[in-house]
Amino acid sequence: MASPVVVAPILVALATAVLTLVTRFDARAQRATSVLGGVAYFAVVAVLFDRVVLSGPTVVPYYVSNWPAPYGITLVADALSAFMLGLAAVVGLAAVVFGSTYVDEFGQRLSYHPLFHFMMAGVSGAFLTGDLFNLFVWFEVMLMSSYVLVLFYSGREHTRAALNYVVLNLLASAVMLVAIGGLYATTGTLNMADMARRLADPAAYGVELAPTLGLASLLLAVFALKAGVVPFHFWVPAAYRAAPAPVTAVLAGVVKKVGVYAIIRLFFTVFAGGAYANTATFAYVGPILALMAGASIVYGGVGAVGRDDVDGLLAFSSVGQVGFIVLPLGVGMAAPDLTVAFAGAERTLAALGVAAALVYAFNHALAKSLLFLASGTLHATVGTTRLDRLGGLAARTPLVAASFLLGGLSLIGVPPLVGFFGKLLVFRTATEAMAGGTPGAGVALAVALGGAVLTIAYVTRAWNAVFWGEPSETVRTVLPERWRGVGAGGDAATDGGTNGGGSDATDRALAVQVTTLVALALCIVGFGVGVEFVVDAAAHAAHAATDTQGYVSAVFDPATQPGGEGGGH
Amino acid sequence: MTQWILAGVLGVLFTLGTYLVLRRDVVRVVWGVTIISQSANVYLVTMGGLAGVAPIGRFGEEGAATPTDPLVQALVLTAIVIGFGTTALALVLTYRVYEEHGTIDVYDLGRGLVDGADDADRDRGPVEGGER
Repeated sequence: MASPVVVAPILVALATAVLTLVTRFDARAQRATSVLGGVAYFAVVAVLFDRVVLSGPTVVPYYVSNWPAPYGITLVADALSAFMLGLAAVVGLAAVVFGSTYVDEFGQRLSYHPLFHFMMAGVSGAFLTGDLFNLFVWFEVMLMSSYVLVLFYSGREHTRAALNYVVLNLLASAVMLVAIGGLYATTGTLNMADMARRLADPAAYGVELAPTLGLASLLLAVFALKAGVVPFHFWVPAAYRAAPAPVTAVLAGVVKKVGVYAIIRLFFTVFAGGAYANTATFAYVGPILALMAGASIVYGGVGAVGRDDVDGLLAFSSVGQVGFIVLPLGVGMAAPDLTVAFAGAERTLAALGVAAALVYAFNHALAKSLLFLASGTLHATVGTTRLDRLGGLAARTPLVAASFLLGGLSLIGVPPLVGFFGKLLVFRTATEAMAGGTPGAGVALAVALGGAVLTIAYVTRAWNAVFWGEPSETVRTVLPERWRGVGAGGDAATDGGTNGGGSDATDRALAVQVTTLVALALCIVGFGVGVEFVVDAAAHAAHAATDTQGYVSAVFDPATQPGGEGGGH
Repeated sequence: MTQWILAGVLGVLFTLGTYLVLRRDVVRVVWGVTIISQSANVYLVTMGGLAGVAPIGRFGEEGAATPTDPLVQALVLTAIVIGFGTTALALVLTYRVYEEHGTIDVYDLGRGLVDGADDADRDRGPVEGGER
């Protein structure tokens, strides 16, 4: 059952990155390659998703160079990986189309496209790998590209933000290396399935469990930094404001989720079986994670309410929203064995928590990338995203306004958008835990409710200041009347602000950007109306994440293992 | 004996790295980060065990029955290559920060961050002179 379709997403992204380097002397060819690469990535992920989730949830391993499992590097595609890849494919495709018109010609030719696809390759590798050290390597591939993309414009703010981002992530990499080395020394393996097997039965494999708790905590800190959870959030606002809009969309929509994915994969699949001094790993990590999540919700919400520009508001909102994603994970860990009826079956609270986190992550990926892209379009049309200089844009750019509104409403959680179901599941996890008598679940629920109110506050504030009311001075100067898009002729008035001479080219560029925004907004509505699809996929993913036994037996299935001794080359 | 010396050396290296990371000078911070990642590498090598013989086909000779685990050395090689790339980037970045801000003092940079939040418009778009 081992199948090369598992490596396909990584290979497509890598091949696209290389091809965009080869074609960089022809701007059109490069753009076409890049967008086609995004489409191909989407297609390959769809095939993988079909294979792993839709046609009966399975776990498909792939043994790199045909080395059998604990010795070589193993890639594993299960429902959880497929769900995260699907999220990456949707956001990545939108961002690559948007970016091909948003980023200036010179920047595109220089480095934008290759870096973007290398980043996607790193993300895919991190989602697919079944080897701890390999996870570190894919993290570095992803981070290395993201460093340069944050630094892309190399201005004052950008260099400072990038310095912050680079130094923090280099330290995190060193810490991750220490944790991986320690885990290798204590468990004697780097393969995640093997490690899960050994931790679940420490006596049989002679594993001493006490050190692994500290090493797991180190890993938690590293992943929390990647996810931007308080108290490891301080790089987030500056880095998100510095990167070009489509890159920020991917950073907030996908790269952040790699940290969340790593927490789920390692703590729910690998460390779940472990116990220290007769207390399960979950009991140590759960409350800490819930506390960090609660702090993120409050900090991000309050910070976002106080910002005076759209980018800053959205960046702080990201910190708050990732709190909503991590909160059900922490609550689920606090009472993992509580059974609840969910998605047509009896499941554990841990599985419900993971499903809630995934649905919320999917919503956040769609909505936040849409909002960041919309903010980029505002920058391209009006030249600023400061709240006090904007206003009345609803009448001038109705499509951008409508998309922004849908994204904002989904963040708030208004039915029938995806965000509603994400929030519902988060609250459901907390109430189920409370009903099961888990201490602190009530506090988690209260914090989540408070965070939801803060979300309403800052989304309303942004909407009112940017799109509602009378057009501001800046808006009147730059966009004297409604922007009509391609073919509107000279009066389309895109020739102010930073655009420096409106032309058909800028009009076309804006038309592409607006189309992307509308497509993402339609996704939010579509997946909200057909939410069963998302919830079912998340339920399968949550089951895969919490089913350590299934993961281990799929990786070590003798029927799929490449031929016994030594393997091939 | 070896492991005690190495443990001591690792402790000193991590301390030195942490001390440098907490300095105000960005160059020292980068040195600190480099030292910490190098000490992580040394730590990684020690995780393979120190008692065995070199793992190159001389098992059973020299009185030691088991060879040292070669996997950690492969890991460290990978980590060194990655560390080389990131350190180069961090150094170039430091130079760019100096060019943009005229200072590499962390406090001064941080103060600019607070003031900068109220700057007219952060250049979210391409920098001055860039083609639109």
